[in-house]
Amino acid sequence: MKQIKTILLILVITVFYSSCEDSFLSPELETGINADNYFKNDAEIEAGVLNIYDGIQGVNQLQITNNNFNHGVQVEFYLTEMRSDNTETKSNEGEAAQFEFFNVEATNGLVDDYYRSYYNVIFRANLVLENLGTASATKSPVFEGEAKFLRAYSYFNLVRLFGDVPLVDKLISPLDKQTAFTRVASTQIYDLIVSDLQTAISNLDDNGPNDRGSKAAAEGILAKVYLTLGRYSEAQTLLESIMNPSRGFALESNFKDVFYNEGNDEVLFAIGFLPDSRLNSQSFSAEWLNAVGRTSGVNYASLDAKTVLDANGGNRTQYSYREDQAQAGKYQVVKYLPDGDTNLGIAPTSADPRSAGNDWVVLRYADILLMHVEAIMAGGASTTSTNAISSFQKVRDRAGLTTAVTSISEDELLLERRVELAFENHRFFDLLRFGKAQDVFSAYSAANGLGYSSTDLLLPIPQREINIGNGQLSQNPGY
Amino acid sequence: MKIKNSKFGLIALFVIFLSLVYSCEENNLPEIGSVEDLTPPEANFSATANKGDWQTIEFSNQSVSATTFAWEFGDGNSSTDKEPFNKYAAEGTYNVTLTASDNNGVTSKFTSSVDVVKPAVVVIPDPKLINADFVKTAKSSGSDCACSGWINKSLGDQGESSSGNGSDVVKFDNNEPDHIYQEFEVTPNADYTITIITQFKPSAGGTYASQLNMRILAGSGYTSGYTPVYYTATDAFPQDGYGYASIAQVEDATNNLLNETLNNPGDDSYLSNTYTFNAGNNTSVAFFMRGVGGDSSVGNFGYTSGDEEIRLDSVTITAN
Repeated sequence: MKQIKTILLILVITVFYSSCEDSFLSPELETGINADNYFKNDAEIEAGVLNIYDGIQGVNQLQITNNNFNHGVQVEFYLTEMRSDNTETKSNEGEAAQFEFFNVEATNGLVDDYYRSYYNVIFRANLVLENLGTASATKSPVFEGEAKFLRAYSYFNLVRLFGDVPLVDKLISPLDKQTAFTRVASTQIYDLIVSDLQTAISNLDDNGPNDRGSKAAAEGILAKVYLTLGRYSEAQTLLESIMNPSRGFALESNFKDVFYNEGNDEVLFAIGFLPDSRLNSQSFSAEWLNAVGRTSGVNYASLDAKTVLDANGGNRTQYSYREDQAQAGKYQVVKYLPDGDTNLGIAPTSADPRSAGNDWVVLRYADILLMHVEAIMAGGASTTSTNAISSFQKVRDRAGLTTAVTSISEDELLLERRVELAFENHRFFDLLRFGKAQDVFSAYSAANGLGYSSTDLLLPIPQREINIGNGQLSQNPGY
Repeated sequence: MKIKNSKFGLIALFVIFLSLVYSCEENNLPEIGSVEDLTPPEANFSATANKGDWQTIEFSNQSVSATTFAWEFGDGNSSTDKEPFNKYAAEGTYNVTLTASDNNGVTSKFTSSVDVVKPAVVVIPDPKLINADFVKTAKSSGSDCACSGWINKSLGDQGESSSGNGSDVVKFDNNEPDHIYQEFEVTPNADYTITIITQFKPSAGGTYASQLNMRILAGSGYTSGYTPVYYTATDAFPQDGYGYASIAQVEDATNNLLNETLNNPGDDSYLSNTYTFNAGNNTSVAFFMRGVGGDSSVGNFGYTSGDEEIRLDSVTITAN
């Protein structure tokens, strides 16, 4: 009996003791996946890496119609191409038209969408970087390289669009408002971008598909970062590394194939999309058509762009824009058609144009060659260097413009970039990098009655972000 | 009484005046419903020179909460545009003042100096080669040589002194691994023209016909960590242990900005040949020349000249 009492006592104590443990009140979640129990092996961390690409890809808003989702790269053209002299909305109205009129408001939902999308991408990259400890020794550097490549790519876009922005290079808690809402000088942002890309260059190779980060993609983006920072010689070294024939990159002989023969040797990096897939297709191709997407038509070629392409595009012109069959005098972009064009010999890329599979080309070899010219010009007004001319001539030859060039001025290079890379979201950044944005936009604005002033070169920090920042986050001038 | 009255009146008037002043102050209190101006204008601007015209300065207006603007450009010109530009007549530093006002009449002034500078005209200088006429002169050690300033003993034996074409010349002796090597400064990506004046002895008709191999070697291929030094006196040049350290590096195609091999022209007079090269992404390159065509198993460098002597009178390199 006494023995039984003692056992009971022990039992009681045991029950009492175990009830005091944490896990009793907050047990481990064993059935679902969560951040604490995931990322335990290579396969799970690779899923985390794909999740970063998924963030850039964004949600197809024609398939999943909740506006609160992030649309990533699918709304980038609004902030870049439509805020330049290249494109405009078809009807010149609505929130989307704020860009073409240079009257973007801090409450613009598309700006907000882009900003939160790319901070979400950065979060996803940081999530991978903080879980590298459980990856195998062979895969860990690759995961690190891809995550840092994508984080740098995101920051490079943010810093060029918004100027000084918050620097988040680790996972932060919701209470860390200091990090989330303190704008950091763009020089510091660029330090992170450069170091991330250098890591990516040493950790990655070129063996994967071109919709994954690679050594060449990281070298190319870093070259553009260096050009932006005026570090021309470092840019040239990277570009010549990519241009070494052993790397296997080349111009497609037919300009059309750059966009309609995916996985070609010209594209160094693209954001991949899958046709007719609810989760992995894109909507921007449909939005660029006449009332196929949710808009009546956006990112239509401006008359200015049409005129310049007609005069300087060579055989690129027909694959850059076409007249809208449903509305004469309006011009659509041809580079990412979802439903094809029989006149141009372009087959549809998806059964449903509202779930298009056209990849978004981020970096291609023609850009590399023209950056090579830019690196040699090194901020000067012109160049006669045979090295520069050789790269320049390759791009022009492909376009059927085979007259030998003997010198290249800065304006000629900018023009060549405009017609070669039209509607690929380069124009705004090119003008900024060349220091020509003020000149070109003032003149374009005056000629078309738009509202440009120099403070429009930076977008507003989204008002939603400023509101939740409790006064810590300052707005850009002019908003 | 009258006077008194008038005095009293004056005093009364004074009191009234005082109270008027007082009441005026009372009236300075804000009106019902008015709020303090929390957003006074703040003038600010930045200036950049137009890329095509250095005299024209473009002003970017970064003022906050302002509606009208008055600019003084410091050269007597002014403007009331929001974002004006001004063409300055001459180089100099100008104090530019922006006065920004809002519709309450509150103003803010900002002054900043603007430098108007004529950009330097870029002239690509001709490279400076030392002893490019191959005059027999002093070395840092050893006897005088036409090859002074042109020796890198990791790459071959030194060229020999000889004469011809009315002056001293350097000779690549037959069946020997003779070479010349000198580093010089270049402008990155500039194009240059090389002229060499050479002579081949008539063909000996044997197995090994001499050829002259000339290369321009990229500075990017120098031994890691090496910084080139451009000596001006022939007796200051080192003779080994600098720049390129092996023939393997020299023969690596990625290091060659130019690689030309001349055959015996069958004419033993001094002939001029011209070539061009682009400096690429280098601030320094090296000129390298040697005789080849001989038995490569002879000597320590994996190459020798063939059966005929070759002479070099001069090397001239100019910017295009």
